[in-house]
Amino acid sequence: MGIVIAVISGKGGVGKTTASANLGLGIAQNDKTCVLVDFDIGQRNLDMILGLENRVVYDMVQVMEEEASVKQALIKSKVSDNLSFLAASQSKDKSILNSEKVEKLINHLRDEFDFVILDAPAGIESGYEHTIEFADAAIVIVNPEVSSIRDADRAIGILDSKSNKVKNGEEVAKYLIINRIVATMVQSGEMLRSEDILEILNIKLLGKVPEDRGVIDASNQGKPVILDKKSIAGQAYTRISGRLCGEKVEMKDIEISDAGLFKKLTGMFK
Amino acid sequence: MFGFFRKKQSASVAKDRLTIAIMSDRNKGDAYPFMDEMKAEIIAVVKRYIGVRTVEIKKEFDGDFEALSIDVQLDKNA
Repeated sequence: MGIVIAVISGKGGVGKTTASANLGLGIAQNDKTCVLVDFDIGQRNLDMILGLENRVVYDMVQVMEEEASVKQALIKSKVSDNLSFLAASQSKDKSILNSEKVEKLINHLRDEFDFVILDAPAGIESGYEHTIEFADAAIVIVNPEVSSIRDADRAIGILDSKSNKVKNGEEVAKYLIINRIVATMVQSGEMLRSEDILEILNIKLLGKVPEDRGVIDASNQGKPVILDKKSIAGQAYTRISGRLCGEKVEMKDIEISDAGLFKKLTGMFK
Repeated sequence: MFGFFRKKQSASVAKDRLTIAIMSDRNKGDAYPFMDEMKAEIIAVVKRYIGVRTVEIKKEFDGDFEALSIDVQLDKNA
């Protein structure tokens, strides 16, 4: 039986969908089976990031409404047989979701895959609540920026009160990915350090992803950045995926590694 | 000359502001997981006697003192 992980953020535009796509591929590269489910009903995005937009025939809502079987709706990744994808519905409203149907779908996927990754919609409305309801764990994505961190805290608060696991007296595991870190800005004190973010949110760190122009280039092509071995963001997602699959991967301190010249300059004034 | 480097760094300003904002966010509103359920039950009880439109429950703080303020809005047409 697989593990169900919701990828959440509160605020939109912090890289939730990009992270989901890359973690899905990273897990697949670790020889585990994974299904990515786009829960952002009404706004299909994950298919574009994965380069699968032309293959979508049935979507997740059609499966829940029993207009299509899970098997019919699952789309295989072009790059890995271990990765499948279930698209969000574009035509329907998120009010179509209800707990029983969501639970049934998730249980079905849990039986079939090692990892079930749910890409949550932005915000903390009903669509978000349905995404976290049956999750075993959550990965919180933040940018080192005040509004993202504040909204993440709200999303975590809802996770801690509305998830099924919490209602049954258990705990939902929560892990943080800090995305779009600019080392030089952290060094000069213009960007929050990861220790500060962890302290504010009181959550465990899963990984840090540096700012990387390659991410947009990758989504332009529908080839997640993890496939580019030279990309620093891609390497970060490879490390994070390894951790998710139970490997011991040391935390790389990307907050100092590319500071180079700048560090030398500021060193002069110390 | 190097005064520029000595000004308060914006990351530490961000940390202070966030710490305060998040503390106040956490103390607001639906602080208990059972709030929705309790709300529904209160509505059911009041409805037995009089029409009710909605119930708002807020957790309030006054120093060490905590209280639930329950606001029952009646529905005249019911």
